[in-house]
Amino acid sequence: MTQKGSKVVCPSCGAENLPGTLFCIQCGTYLPSGGPLRTEPLPEQEEGRPARPRQEGKEGDEAWALNIEVEVLNTGRKVLLSADREILVGRLDAARGIFPELDMTPDGGLEQGVSRRHARIYTREGTCFVEDLDSVNGTFLNEERITPYLPYAFRDGDLLMFGTMRLKVHIYPNL
Amino acid sequence: MATINSQKDYYAILNVSLDADVDEVKRAYREKARDYHPDSGHGDAELFREIQEAYEVLRDEILRRAYDRQREKQGLSEDAPVGLALLQSRTVALPLDIAQILYVLVEIQSHAEVQKETTRRHLNVALVIDCSTSMSGARVQHVKVAAADLVESLGPHDRLALVAFSDRAEVLAPTHPVDNPRIFKSALAALTPSGGTEIYQGLLAGLKEVRKYASSELVNHVILLTDGRTYGDETYALTEARRAASEGISISAFGIGEDWNDEFLDDLARIAGGVSRYIRTPSDVRAALRRQIQGLSSTLLQNVKLEVNTAPYVHIQGAYRAAPYLEILEHSENNVFSLGNVMADEPISVVLEFVIGQVVTGERRIARLDLIGERIAAPEPIRLRQDVNLTFTLEPEEESVPDKLLNRLARLSVFHLQERAWKALSAGDVPKATSYLEYAATRLFDMGHRDLGQAAMLEVNRLTHGGDPTKEGRKKLRYGTRSLTSPMR
Repeated sequence: MTQKGSKVVCPSCGAENLPGTLFCIQCGTYLPSGGPLRTEPLPEQEEGRPARPRQEGKEGDEAWALNIEVEVLNTGRKVLLSADREILVGRLDAARGIFPELDMTPDGGLEQGVSRRHARIYTREGTCFVEDLDSVNGTFLNEERITPYLPYAFRDGDLLMFGTMRLKVHIYPNL
Repeated sequence: MATINSQKDYYAILNVSLDADVDEVKRAYREKARDYHPDSGHGDAELFREIQEAYEVLRDEILRRAYDRQREKQGLSEDAPVGLALLQSRTVALPLDIAQILYVLVEIQSHAEVQKETTRRHLNVALVIDCSTSMSGARVQHVKVAAADLVESLGPHDRLALVAFSDRAEVLAPTHPVDNPRIFKSALAALTPSGGTEIYQGLLAGLKEVRKYASSELVNHVILLTDGRTYGDETYALTEARRAASEGISISAFGIGEDWNDEFLDDLARIAGGVSRYIRTPSDVRAALRRQIQGLSSTLLQNVKLEVNTAPYVHIQGAYRAAPYLEILEHSENNVFSLGNVMADEPISVVLEFVIGQVVTGERRIARLDLIGERIAAPEPIRLRQDVNLTFTLEPEEESVPDKLLNRLARLSVFHLQERAWKALSAGDVPKATSYLEYAATRLFDMGHRDLGQAAMLEVNRLTHGGDPTKEGRKKLRYGTRSLTSPMR
């Protein structure tokens, strides 16, 4: 007994692949998640206004070690992040080698438009910065969309949004 | 009741010796389970399940005896220094009326007790140094320092020869035990760059020196250091490399800077069971040589071959080395793949891509894999066997592809894209090359390798404006993407 098999059409380049193929022979796209698991662009009206670059705040010249606590508002999950190195915000995808420090999958990151590599957070001289990594649905600081690949300083109590995922940040000095 | 899978090497999975007692097994399990627990930082659910499975069998006297017996029957329990483990993209599949793909990751890992064993292999090495005009200045200075460092790292039980070459070869120091490092160091002082680059000459002289004392007790090896392109003698050099491999002499090739012929040196090293490396700045020569010597002295198996016997309705579409670095393996007619040496601290893994033709339901053996390798100073080669089995059923259960395999495949596909770009380019098909490079760039950005992605886009821009790709960009991409399997953070 055999079943009728059909070629797998790559969603990104249209090449036909034999069933069981995991990476498109033509363009290298990961096939099982290339379709439904991709970050789908959200409807236009939810995108918000374009943002103006913000002034980078400076809190003195001492290198401070900071802890950043983020509270995911829809699930109430709180994550304490050590900011002594860069924090990647996104969704875990082992196939692509993406292992974000802040993985939004458990909070429904896919449904809320969080890209696999969405943004990065880091500190310089005691100031916290967020930088959007050209995500599909954008990163918002206090309701304003930020320009990709530009660092924006944020402070304790600010509201960050990845796609439509809302997070409140608390910053503690790590003494 | 735990299941026994005699195809898996539970001892290797837990990193314990064949005669480890229950306490050792327990200790090893706790350690491993902690390291790979899915909740830990570098967790691996697939591996974690295997660790649990191994523990359940090995801690139970009866299960363990049954397992050992099964292994013995299959010729798997030999006192081998390495283990062979398989990971398949699927273990069950639908029987289809058209061909389908199965990926298998073959891992060759040294056993723990071998790794701990401190006995260092004795080396019989020739260092063949390019001293053409282009090596003048900083390059030759750094090479001298690195070579002196290499001399220091060897002892009276090792043998070394120093050869310099330009248009012709000159033996600076003939093969001799390294009991007096000063002899070699003063020979290095004579190194003065002049003339062109004829790799064949240097290689021939180096091999001649190594042959003087070549034996199965020693690791026989030639290290070639060059910064230039050789003209016209490539085929001779490759023939010589084949001959060397058949005599148990391996060759490694290190290219300094941007001007050497990467494809040629990669081929040379692959044929002769060694490694090729791209050394971007002369100051990195020292570290590369040191690492090479360290690796060589931990050699476990030499002249390792993977024999793949497929079922009649199956063929191999691709065979790749996935670690220590990515490489497309030379496809031989009878499906024997040469893998060179296996070192204690550097596991080798291979990815096989099978195309399975039309099949009906039932459990099938897709392929039988035999790993054959020569142990240093042992008369009989070692043979390890594993089968690739696939169950065809009309209602296959959902199963996920092992993370480790997926990870390797993702990187392999990027490496493959850029390799195809260079191939298309040398065939004169610029549009095809451009599109492969663009695809590679997209995937690289996707994976977070901005640096390599940008390098690919830079070459795309040059190509679309009618220019040639840069030598630097090509090397950066080839050697950058082939190293993607090294764990990233």
